[in-house]
Amino acid sequence: MLANAWVIPLLPLAAFVLLLAGGRRWKEGVAAWVGSIAVLAACVWSLGVLAVVPGGTGRKMEIPWLSLGDTVITMGMEVNRLNALMLLIVSLVSFLVHVYSRGYMRGDERFSVFYAYLALFTFSMLGLVISPNLLQFYIFWELVGVCSFLLIGYWYYKPEAKAAAKKAFILTRIGDVGLFIAVILAFWHTGTLEISGVIQAVQDGKVEAGIVTLIALLIFAGAVGKSGQFPLHTWLPDAMEGPTPVSALIHAATMVAAGVYLVARTFPLFEASPVAMDTVAYVGAFTALFAASIGLVQNDIKRVLAYSTVSQLGYMMLALGSAGYTAGVFHLMTHAFFKALLFLGAGAVIVALHHEQDIRRMGGLWNRHKGAGVLFLIGCLAISGIPPFSGFFSKEEVLLSAWQDGRWGVFAVGVLASFFTAFYMFRLFFLVFAGEYRGKGQPGPVSSGMMWPMGVLAALALLAGFAEFPGGWLSHWLTEETGIPAGHGSAPVWLPLLTVSIAAAGIALAWGMYVKQSVSPEQWRARAPWGYRVLLHKYYVDEGYAAVIALPYKGLSIFLRGFDRYVVEGLVRLATAAVQTAARVSTRLQNGQVQTYALISVIGLVLLMIGLAAGRLF
Amino acid sequence: MEMLPSWITWAPLLGVLVLLWIPRERTAAIRWVGVLATLPSLVLSLLLYVSFDTGKDGVQFAHSLHWFYLPVLGEKWDFQYSMGVDGLSMPLVAITGVIVTLAALASLYIRQRQKGYFLLFLLLEVGMMGVFLARNLFLFFLFFEITLVAAFFLIGIWGYVNREKTAIQFLLYNGLGSACMLLAFMGLLILFRSLELSRLHEVMHHSGALAQLSQSGGDTLLWGIFIALVIAFGIKLPIFPFHTWMLRVHAEAPPAVVMIHSGVLLKMGAYGLIRFGVELFPVQTQAAAGVLAWLGLVNILYGAVLAFSQRDLKRVLAYSSVSHMGIILLGIASLNVYGLQGAVFQSVSHGFISALLFYFIAALYERTGTTQIDQLGGLAKQMPVLSGIFLAGGMALLGLPGMSGFVSEFLAFLGLFETRPWVAATGTLGLILAAVYTLRAVMQTTFGPLHAGRERVKDSRWTEAVPMLVLLFFIVLIGVYPDVIGKPMQLTLQTIISRMGG
Repeated sequence: MLANAWVIPLLPLAAFVLLLAGGRRWKEGVAAWVGSIAVLAACVWSLGVLAVVPGGTGRKMEIPWLSLGDTVITMGMEVNRLNALMLLIVSLVSFLVHVYSRGYMRGDERFSVFYAYLALFTFSMLGLVISPNLLQFYIFWELVGVCSFLLIGYWYYKPEAKAAAKKAFILTRIGDVGLFIAVILAFWHTGTLEISGVIQAVQDGKVEAGIVTLIALLIFAGAVGKSGQFPLHTWLPDAMEGPTPVSALIHAATMVAAGVYLVARTFPLFEASPVAMDTVAYVGAFTALFAASIGLVQNDIKRVLAYSTVSQLGYMMLALGSAGYTAGVFHLMTHAFFKALLFLGAGAVIVALHHEQDIRRMGGLWNRHKGAGVLFLIGCLAISGIPPFSGFFSKEEVLLSAWQDGRWGVFAVGVLASFFTAFYMFRLFFLVFAGEYRGKGQPGPVSSGMMWPMGVLAALALLAGFAEFPGGWLSHWLTEETGIPAGHGSAPVWLPLLTVSIAAAGIALAWGMYVKQSVSPEQWRARAPWGYRVLLHKYYVDEGYAAVIALPYKGLSIFLRGFDRYVVEGLVRLATAAVQTAARVSTRLQNGQVQTYALISVIGLVLLMIGLAAGRLF
Repeated sequence: MEMLPSWITWAPLLGVLVLLWIPRERTAAIRWVGVLATLPSLVLSLLLYVSFDTGKDGVQFAHSLHWFYLPVLGEKWDFQYSMGVDGLSMPLVAITGVIVTLAALASLYIRQRQKGYFLLFLLLEVGMMGVFLARNLFLFFLFFEITLVAAFFLIGIWGYVNREKTAIQFLLYNGLGSACMLLAFMGLLILFRSLELSRLHEVMHHSGALAQLSQSGGDTLLWGIFIALVIAFGIKLPIFPFHTWMLRVHAEAPPAVVMIHSGVLLKMGAYGLIRFGVELFPVQTQAAAGVLAWLGLVNILYGAVLAFSQRDLKRVLAYSSVSHMGIILLGIASLNVYGLQGAVFQSVSHGFISALLFYFIAALYERTGTTQIDQLGGLAKQMPVLSGIFLAGGMALLGLPGMSGFVSEFLAFLGLFETRPWVAATGTLGLILAAVYTLRAVMQTTFGPLHAGRERVKDSRWTEAVPMLVLLFFIVLIGVYPDVIGKPMQLTLQTIISRMGG
């Protein structure tokens, strides 16, 4: 089971090939089954791997891929406990999303293409997770990026989807180039591409401190792009143009967490560099608060969730930067469950409301869709950090690691962001499920095939916290024989009290505003109209990029177009004029006799040869 | 078996002979003969690939015949007809075989004077194969000129509106290049009294002989020859600012010819730079590496920025070729096995990718009568398969891992980062810019709402889809398992580099 774990990613790849070959000839049911079964098999296999994987460096398998002089670059797999956990998370969420999509995508004319893309994504993500070396990691890193691009732009005829897909690709690629350089630098300074080898070299002190910092920061640049951290975050909310199951799988649970996973996977590099740790912690904390504040005022159900994802990813980075390795991974896991649940819940709402996404035109769904309401509520409670839901435990560990690392500022920012989180999540919940229905027409039904995957995720969102509490079982399991510190001991008593009361305050404020209506949001808005506008426009980051980068670049390109045409080609024309006599051949070109041309070319060759000989005979 | 290189080179002439007997009115027969006539070379070059011994250094399948003597000042200078293949030419011969056959299929779009077209087309193949397989500089020069003449007519007669101007410019520029090459070869002949590559290697890599030469003031002459060669092949590649001629060729030549032009002919520039620059002049290359690296950087960025604002798809691809050829220069300038291997990989990879994209262009033009980006849009609705292929080709162009372009870019940058990290780091900007211009081009044509008046555009026929899928297959094959072309070039490139170290 463990030795052949490399088969796991190949299962969805096989499904991808089948789906591509089957194409539109297949009925929806067949396509959905092919995809789902392959991913289910991968999921079961991953579960088996998880049960037997040993601690420490784990199991490796490699085959030669490219010989370069004396160096041989390999491809293969490495399964350690972190990888095994990721394998299970990815394949499980992917399987649930596969099942769910059958209902959500019903009637779409490119149904099998959708499943093909989903399968390709799952293959790439699983391949990424088990990569033993940085180059393979980078290869799959780009592949998940392209799958994300394809799925964001799945409804290719919509101009918004087209723009969002393009933006996602380009912004993440900016980060990717950082990772690209990091891979190359790591090779030149450690002599290997193996992740374990690079880490070993750094731990042995074979690499200069400055270079370690540089490599770590460049790796982090890749993570910033992929995980939607500031300042490359703007693509992630726009990515909501993709179908909702995609948002759940790629843009909430798995791919966007790949950045966090990358930092975790190469964690010893970061540990070796205080500057890199500071950067990770500060960027994470800033993003957590920044995105949460935007989430406060958004009106699109999926965008609120998207900003919340950005913010939660910030939490994970914050934890890693504060030396909270297990806290970061733990939060990654719980977040994968509850955020996938929230997105699937949002998808159910969207389907029920005939593809309405504006929460101002929702409301009162609790009575009509109690099942979806309960599940969504579980997700909201989990993300807000209310015990005993999983988010409570993981968020507390995140904050605890910041506290114990002596990062008071980061800690304070994290606490404030968790207040925002609770507020915007329950603002969303109340606006969608409480009060009166404010939309047009009647809400429709949601199929059971969409409901039960949500049920599974809800159970996980409820229970996943107990992998760690009480006793810290998960941290011990993850860090056994890795040399990374397991955790921070027990939390001070006031910490859970603080986090729970902060969350409760956020929920209470949302309740006051949107259910009891004793606090008027309009009044708050009126008090700082400027602030509200800034938040609504997401701090004008997009506009800033357009003005500072996109426009000047376009200008440069157009300027150079003129330069190329008039200056560079002008020089050519000068030369052409000088050899005008040669141009007269062109008149003879038009007489249409191929034989003549052949003759000319033969004569030309003969002349050349004569010239050649004559030149030598001087 | 030993004669394989000669068979590969001259096999298309068989087709020429058959074509001469077919009356020009029988266009269907001419087309089929034209396509079939490329097959012997293809099959033989694949045979060559299979029987090439990757564990052996040096030239394989070498054979030479005495050709003629040139009496000079009482001496008799010997000219040989020598052919052979080594790790550097092997991959290029293989892709030439593949691309020529597929371009012949793409030539089915040619509607007039097919007989003349295919005659020249096959002649062009002779020239290209000969260029890569010749082991004598005089022979090389002849083959090189054959490609020039054949391409000149193919562009000038079967191109688009401005074909004649383009053909003239093509000939002028390349003629200039040839003149430089001729001067350089003459210089070598005078210095060493031979144009046999093996003989030249002996002298150039023999430190004693070189020392003797530099004492007698031959150093300057060697430098002159080196620079002339760099200019000759730099024009072909092309290196900025010598690129304008190839933009025109991309835009005006018939797409099937552009497949060959961009896929193979430009690679003759890369081949020449490595074969005659790096291999023959290790000392000079080492000294000039800085300049080459900067030129490569300029190519990458200049091409990428300009590709972004072009209105014609063909011009986008032309400028992207400028950008991608810069990567070849970076690879060469890195002076190590990684970079050099990257340069050869890039030659092969870009050959397949641009052949694929211009096949698509041919199919697109056939349907819409235009390649102007603002007159297209949303085509994925009407032609999902073709659009999918275009998207895949675009992904290959921007260097998506799993496809050939990534391997070459990675290797070139890996190489250059060892010697010139700052130039290399600046060059990686090109990776982002490539995504920017490629996505713009691909998405403006195939994504978004369908452009008005394109409601009746049809998707691909299988005769079009299959050749494109074959190209895509090779692109993915190299991307997934690069050793497939990496293995044969190993030892040759290592030897070339080791000479530089000494």
